[in-house]
Amino acid sequence: MSELTFTPVIGIEIHIRLKTDTKIFCSCSTNPESPANTNICPVCMGLPGSLPRLNHNVVEKGMLAGLALNCSVQPKSLFFRKSYFYPDLPKGHQISQCDLPVVADGYIEVHDADGNLKKIRVNHLHLEEDAASMHHSASDGRLEGAATSYVDYNRAGMPLGEIVSEPDISSAQEAVEYAMNLQRRVRYAGASDADLDKGMMRFDANVSLKCSDGRWGRKVEVKNMNSFRALERAIEFEIKRQKKILLSGGEVLQETRHWNDAKGVTSASRVKEFYRKFIVEPDLPPLIVNQEWIDRVTAMMPEMPDVRANRYVNDMGLPRDVAEVITDDKNLADYFESCVKAGANPVRAAHWVRTEVLRVLNERGQKIDAFTVKPEVLAGLVSRVDDRKLSTTQGKEVFDYMCANGAGLEDAVKALGITEGGVAGNALNDIIAAVIAANPDVLEEIKSGKDKKGKKLKFLQGLVMKETKGQAKPQEVAEAIAKALE
Amino acid sequence: MKLDEHEVNEIALESRLVLTEQELAGAVRYINNFLDMLDRFKELDLKDVEPFSFAEALECPLRPDTVISFPATQAILDESEHVDGPYFKVPRIVEAE
Amino acid sequence: MELYELNLNDVIEGLKAKRFSPSELYASCKQRIDTCEPNIHAFITRTDDTQPQTGNDGGIFAGVPTVLKDNLCTKGIRTTAASRILGDWKPPYDATAWKYLREAGAVLMGKVNMDEFAMGSTCGNSAFGPTHNPHDISRVPGGSSGGSAAAVSAGYVPFSLGSDTGGSIRQPASFCGVYGFKPTYGMVSRYGLISYGSSLDQIGPFARTVRDLQLVMSVLAQYDPMDSSCFREKNPDFTHREDVSLKGKRVALVKEFQDFTLDAPIAEAMTRTRKVLEDEGAIIAEVSLPVVARYAVACYYALAMSEAHTNLERYDGVRYGYTVTDAAGVKEMFERVRSYGFGSEVKSRIIAGTCLTEPSRCDEYYVAATKVRTLIAQEFARAFGETDYILQPVTPSLPHRIGEEDEDEMKVYETDLYTLPVNLAGLPGLSFFTGYAGNLPVGLQLIGPRWSDSGLLDAGVILERHLGSPKIANGGI
Ligand SMILES: [Zn+2]
Repeated sequence: MSELTFTPVIGIEIHIRLKTDTKIFCSCSTNPESPANTNICPVCMGLPGSLPRLNHNVVEKGMLAGLALNCSVQPKSLFFRKSYFYPDLPKGHQISQCDLPVVADGYIEVHDADGNLKKIRVNHLHLEEDAASMHHSASDGRLEGAATSYVDYNRAGMPLGEIVSEPDISSAQEAVEYAMNLQRRVRYAGASDADLDKGMMRFDANVSLKCSDGRWGRKVEVKNMNSFRALERAIEFEIKRQKKILLSGGEVLQETRHWNDAKGVTSASRVKEFYRKFIVEPDLPPLIVNQEWIDRVTAMMPEMPDVRANRYVNDMGLPRDVAEVITDDKNLADYFESCVKAGANPVRAAHWVRTEVLRVLNERGQKIDAFTVKPEVLAGLVSRVDDRKLSTTQGKEVFDYMCANGAGLEDAVKALGITEGGVAGNALNDIIAAVIAANPDVLEEIKSGKDKKGKKLKFLQGLVMKETKGQAKPQEVAEAIAKALE
Repeated sequence: MKLDEHEVNEIALESRLVLTEQELAGAVRYINNFLDMLDRFKELDLKDVEPFSFAEALECPLRPDTVISFPATQAILDESEHVDGPYFKVPRIVEAE
Repeated sequence: MELYELNLNDVIEGLKAKRFSPSELYASCKQRIDTCEPNIHAFITRTDDTQPQTGNDGGIFAGVPTVLKDNLCTKGIRTTAASRILGDWKPPYDATAWKYLREAGAVLMGKVNMDEFAMGSTCGNSAFGPTHNPHDISRVPGGSSGGSAAAVSAGYVPFSLGSDTGGSIRQPASFCGVYGFKPTYGMVSRYGLISYGSSLDQIGPFARTVRDLQLVMSVLAQYDPMDSSCFREKNPDFTHREDVSLKGKRVALVKEFQDFTLDAPIAEAMTRTRKVLEDEGAIIAEVSLPVVARYAVACYYALAMSEAHTNLERYDGVRYGYTVTDAAGVKEMFERVRSYGFGSEVKSRIIAGTCLTEPSRCDEYYVAATKVRTLIAQEFARAFGETDYILQPVTPSLPHRIGEEDEDEMKVYETDLYTLPVNLAGLPGLSFFTGYAGNLPVGLQLIGPRWSDSGLLDAGVILERHLGSPKIANGGI
């Protein structure tokens, strides 16, 4: 009997916070920095008599996210009431489009195990309201064992888009790539900041295994993953767990399991969940999206990252990896394109953005929109280095100086004492050090005092002048070498 | 009888209602009478009938995305006996079921 | 004649002409309330202990006292929906309907009794005890807006507001001998009305003349962006006119209803009203509503309970209302709050609603009911292709004695057959006074197609002219 093999069948549900100023059904602010329970009103607190009012921008951001996932906008969608009792849910039900969503039928691509592109179908994106946030008073922050819970209704009614994939995903790696690609695309579309640290993107996965002997394990829903790493680990754990059960001839139960990130395991949910068919939300008539609106939103859609990366590779000659790094963040890619538009050589500019700009941003924990060196300025710098008016080292010095002091290009050059077109300062010292290092015998001769006529010194000066392509001043070179020899 | 005491009690608990024995007996009688009344629907051919949701072709009005802070948030908090500092405090969530 | 006996239009004119002052009027109404309230028990919360706020002096209701059904939110004033579960909840906002009245200058005398969460037709399912019919205090005032009807009937106030989900304005209006109007669904904002069956609920007025209903409707029927089901386009004209006519108008009786038995005074009122209509030049016709006649009651209760149980999920004791502070867990807290907080009729309906929307039964009951509703709406649409109005009873019988309600809830529900189809189809319905049988008033109902509200009230003016206006009830004195 041949060995059994298992094919994972994975579908993912991703909640993203849609980027709006107000909540989905009331005019309360979505500001995440507000003090607890200040962004509340009769509607999002579920006070008796209050009624929901749909936010125009939530629909538009949902459409943008959907279009970014190659979905089509549905002309008519509807809201439902999804019931469950929990203190984080002010009305005891969530208003959700679950059964009749605003966008549907899309796909995005990931690489399969062989490196080939593979389509993961997106079933739909539906609009719904978030629940309140809960803080638990147990010392480890978990629900279990906590004596009390604290509720902050600021989050209740925040707008969410729930994106449901088809079960086309076959591995944890594909799942992560799907999630990352989705994140990139909804960010591009301006639909969501999808910031994992701020809880703006959350994952649930449905995992089952298809066995080569024809058995098909039941679907297990794994919840509570809040990072790409957690998504990957939870799916890997679940595949391993189910494989073990199937290998031993057991049966995988259809259930909901919770991912425990600290322990690295999934465990069966102890809270019984009631699944009730949803009733139509009687307080919200059907959402009608006409063609004119669809056209307007379609026109708002920017070029998607994969298309953009291809253009950089094909039209600008960027290496694939550089193009992908730059297009990962739309603002960074926009920055890069502004550099190019301002006259910088695309390949060189891309190199600068990828190495220098990203380095500084990482050091500072900044985003590109907060970066002080404007793309036109960087373009000027790149061109000067390109034209050899500045050495690469000088260029980097100037760049660092501009970053540190917020200075313009000319001021930075002046402040660093760099003579236009010359090699001096640290750049010159670097060259001298390299020349000396390459000629240990000459150094030895000079140090031993044999070079009485200074011939060897002149020889070194000549080498340095050659290295600087004659861009250094002989006097400075001589002084610098003397200093280096001390 | 369509639903027995046990089933009705389960439904009640799902709605977070704990019934006394007397209430439960009444609820069982009530719900079964009610479901019998609804059996009339079976006389109708509803296969091709659209579900009704709104009184006429009505579109959901859309609200502009402009922040209007509710002026009396404190009055909302003042109505709860569970407010502790800026939070609502509730007993622990996970309970043996 | 005492000031409290004046109807709304006379009050407005008298105040305008300064024949009496707002405080004289206020004092007269307060006196009347003090006298009758021990017999009637219409109030849940009285707010007439202080001198009236002046309100909006320039508004059309400046200085006019009124009362509201206690499921309409009033800022800072206890609002209970006649349930223990709301405790002493003081809403932080006003219902739009009350806001419009307040801005027009109306003065609130208090919040009045109802069946808990508007579930009932006697005003007996109240955590605050029953209200009594001002014409015969041994009898029910009807419900669920029994307090609103009794208050107008007994002369507490010239007009009041109630809500109508399946007849809750029209039936108590009929039992208490006043006019009650249930507007087209979407005519009046529901913002701030504590929901029962959201797709069926509508706010409307009670008054002692049809003209007074027109006055109140002219203030209530404004667009409100806070209610997404409130209609923007309709701009009805509720101006009172005497020169209206029913000549050539078709008024139909429902064929299927002819077989049902009615109390003799109600049957006699039908005959009399039909004669009046004919004398006015109306053409009496017949329409057939077979689906309505057989399925409307089941359809209505299935939908009302399905919506109601989700509307009542919010009452968990966390944010407002009755609560417990010593529960060991959240589930225990919710169970204790809800089990004690809700009355038995409400609990029954919650369980029924939950049952109907369970995944295993949803298609058979809830979804089926939404489809039957489509058939009912279509049936009415066809009928109103053949007729302008439909004349029918409000109830098959006159108000029964308190405590003598049928034990079988389903039989009680069946008596709503004449009122609840109107809510299923979102139609307007006028409950009008036809006269007295002994000391008990007898009302009937005229209904029209959607948005025929002003025409329906015009017809009501003609009926009132011929059938006479009701007198203020003796209030048990
Ligand atoms: Zn809010």
